[in-house]
Amino acid sequence: MVLRLGSESWESPRFPGRADFPLTSRHRLDNISDVVETEVNWPGALRATENSEAVTALRRILLDGLRIALRERTDVNEAQLEDFAQEALLRILERLDQFAGRSRFTTWAHSIAVNTAFTELRRKRWQDVSLDVLAAEGQQLSEPAVLPDDALGADEERTRLVGVLRKAVAEKLSAKQRTAIVCTLQEMPIDQIVALLGSNRNSAYKLLHDARRALKEYLTAEGISPEVIRTAFAP
Amino acid sequence: MKRLTPQQIEGLVRLIGQTREHEFNCAECQRNIGEFAERQIAGLPLEGDLAGVEQHLSVCSECREEFLALEKILRAS
Repeated sequence: MVLRLGSESWESPRFPGRADFPLTSRHRLDNISDVVETEVNWPGALRATENSEAVTALRRILLDGLRIALRERTDVNEAQLEDFAQEALLRILERLDQFAGRSRFTTWAHSIAVNTAFTELRRKRWQDVSLDVLAAEGQQLSEPAVLPDDALGADEERTRLVGVLRKAVAEKLSAKQRTAIVCTLQEMPIDQIVALLGSNRNSAYKLLHDARRALKEYLTAEGISPEVIRTAFAP
Repeated sequence: MKRLTPQQIEGLVRLIGQTREHEFNCAECQRNIGEFAERQIAGLPLEGDLAGVEQHLSVCSECREEFLALEKILRAS
């Protein structure tokens, strides 16, 4: 694809596999045969007063990327893809200053588009879940009926592990941390945990991280180290 | 709450085993994911902050899902 910005022409980025080339170098189209690959100065083009062609081109690149990323999802239609691309484009334009140049610009832009799309899709899937139900389940998490000794079979080591885990949950986790662990067990995305707990993604991640650390500390003190876990649960 | 399945328990225990004292959060992962993906595809070493991305992806299913989608895009382009 060729972008025409004012009187100059630029070729849109390609992804031939090299990741460590200068990111903001500008190459005239007539010199393109002399270079291995080119990268449009996207931030400059998008900040320009006359940026409509760059915006249109980037939107198309994002849309193409989302079609690839979500092609196996039967629950996503073209109109949604267009919405995701548009939303991502707005976010990218707002965050241009955050582009640090450690990847190609379009890679950075695709990562924002993917995040935009997946966040929205997850939100829809989990929108009817109740925090009260999850909190109640969190309180039951350390009950033998939920985590019985034989949950992983009759093997002595595994039986002991489950018992220690149950005690760790009972003694080391706060009510909020238990709720967060229940969410994790149900494979609920962190964005949904954020929505339920009324926090932000970093706080929710910290809540879960602190819970995992507390459980790990307890297990390790009981002689169940990460190495033991790796050996016992090798994929 | 229903009795946990062996898969749920094993998943939780694995997650505990992979936990580090200091981990990237999702925002830090997101900031570095582009460089991580490009280097991963190119077979280049993952040093410095990128090792933190790799660890985060092992404990965060959402960021892992987004990384796989990004990787799919880059490989197809």
